[in-house]
Amino acid sequence: MQLVLQIVANGLLIGGLYALLAVGLTLIFGVLRVVNFAHAEFMMLGMYGAYWLWSIYGLDPYVSVFLITPVVFLLGVAVDRLVVQRSIGKPDVTVVFATLGLSILLQNAALTLWRADIRSVSTFATGSVFVVGGVRLSVAMTVSFAAALLFALGLWFFLTRTMYGKAIQAVAQNRRAAALMGIDVKRVYLFTYSVAVAAAGAMGVLVAPIFTIFPRVGQTHIVTIFVIVVLGGLGSVPGAVVAALLVGIIRAGAGFLIGTAWGELAYFAVFLLVLIVRPQGFFGRRGAEVYGG
Amino acid sequence: MRISDASPISPAGARIAAAAALVLLLCVPLVVRDIYRLDLGITVLIWASLATAWNISGGFAGGLSLGHAAFFGVGAYTSTLLFLRLGITPWIGIFAGAVLAAMLGALLGVITFRLKGPFFVLATLAFGIVVHIINVNWRGLTRGAAGLLLPFRGGPQNMLFLNLWAYWYTGLGLLVLTVGVSMGIERSRLGYYLVALREDEDAARSLGVRVVRSKVIAAAVSAALAACAGSVYAAFIQYIDPDSTTQFELSVQIALVAIVGGMGTTFGPVLGAAIVIPLGEMLRARLGGGAALVVYGFLLMVIVLTAPNGAIAGVRLLVRRLRRLIDSRRKADA
Repeated sequence: MQLVLQIVANGLLIGGLYALLAVGLTLIFGVLRVVNFAHAEFMMLGMYGAYWLWSIYGLDPYVSVFLITPVVFLLGVAVDRLVVQRSIGKPDVTVVFATLGLSILLQNAALTLWRADIRSVSTFATGSVFVVGGVRLSVAMTVSFAAALLFALGLWFFLTRTMYGKAIQAVAQNRRAAALMGIDVKRVYLFTYSVAVAAAGAMGVLVAPIFTIFPRVGQTHIVTIFVIVVLGGLGSVPGAVVAALLVGIIRAGAGFLIGTAWGELAYFAVFLLVLIVRPQGFFGRRGAEVYGG
Repeated sequence: MRISDASPISPAGARIAAAAALVLLLCVPLVVRDIYRLDLGITVLIWASLATAWNISGGFAGGLSLGHAAFFGVGAYTSTLLFLRLGITPWIGIFAGAVLAAMLGALLGVITFRLKGPFFVLATLAFGIVVHIINVNWRGLTRGAAGLLLPFRGGPQNMLFLNLWAYWYTGLGLLVLTVGVSMGIERSRLGYYLVALREDEDAARSLGVRVVRSKVIAAAVSAALAACAGSVYAAFIQYIDPDSTTQFELSVQIALVAIVGGMGTTFGPVLGAAIVIPLGEMLRARLGGGAALVVYGFLLMVIVLTAPNGAIAGVRLLVRRLRRLIDSRRKADA
């Protein structure tokens, strides 16, 4: 019983981390109709930001997160202006391969600048745990889990309770009608993309004390994030959160029962199955999967 | 692609040009004595075939696949394992690989034909990753990350040659096969069906195009040809492992070559291989692997954003301009 609880707890915590990435990715898809292949690269940049500020200036990631997140936000602004917005409304090949090209570029820029060496940040949070009811919880994981939930809640509140949030929802539902109602659609795109990648960057900083840092670290996570957003329904924020926690638990459970590699295979099989049987995911709007532009 | 974007060369003209190009390619080993260049040339031939195979489903039918390395890998591993375990020559193994890949391609086609845009892309990506995970972890069959080494046994009857020029002709044969199939499909009823489906599936369906059948055939043929390229690659390099055959990056590069050259056209992917592979090799030698990939990523971004029709569109424009120039000169002379 204790073991089951521990596995579920581990799964939930890792699922929380995934949620922070998945919510951003699904928001970008819902609003811009772009699958952001470069999403996890912003997490990677956040990790390196945390590493350099820690190793040069001795800044704790829990401090530097307030410096790095705005920088990643600005980077998101630049990327949206230069790459993403130029691809919107173009053929599928442009939409897909523009961000895929960006992902290759960022990954290898990191590889060239900072080498393939595996780096790590060690702070008080590294390896420290606290025990609740016999279940051991990593401090760093719990902090990032809380940050992820806070972000998801804040985003939900923003989208449903504020004027600008409602404007974003309007663009997600029908960009032409939204434009006719006087909403600056391009600004909505810019804002959405930058906020989403800034969240990815923030997550990178928060997990720096416990994850190893290397140029291709984003790639090890991005496919899992794809699985999550499709399961939850591409474009659905609550769906992404629920699916992230679910995948976290499945991953932890399968990893324990049948080994990590075959566990991974299992959820990819589930992913393919969901795409075939219910492409709109569990929470997605029906017909979202055939939406053209 | 609009009708006005069609090739400025007539079908007969294209055939003559292709025949001339083939004659030139046949002479290459007689002229090029440099081992490094010939080796690079063979790599270009294999990539040209691979991109041409991708283009049949990705370009003609518009199903952007990010999982084609899976079929390449199936071809490489099938012919190699048949040779290592059962002593069956790769000349037969290549067909076994093609049949196996065609079945997998058809299966993937059947389960994904309804998916559009990003959903199709993600499904093919997941499929490719499933195959890669199986390849890495089924150590009893594939030896996992350790890879498989082809011992030099037998020689020509086992697709293993002492001379590079023999591989050149094998690669050229592969290219003739894939381009031939691609040309055949482009000019056939199936080819028109596929383009109609790509442009407007509902309209095509209402006019009687058999949607599922056409897509599944395209997927199967594309997979089979990619597998053939895999078998030739394995015989050429004589060592295969998951990273060099089924990795996600490879799937991206297959698509990249076809897109840079010009997807949806027969010769675009071939042109793409002739541009991308030597360029990549040069960049790697000058700048190192990471920096070369930075340029790759940048190139991919710029091409899809500014010239989604690829390099072949530029070539066509050039031919059209030259024509006009020659015509106006003639008129001036007369």
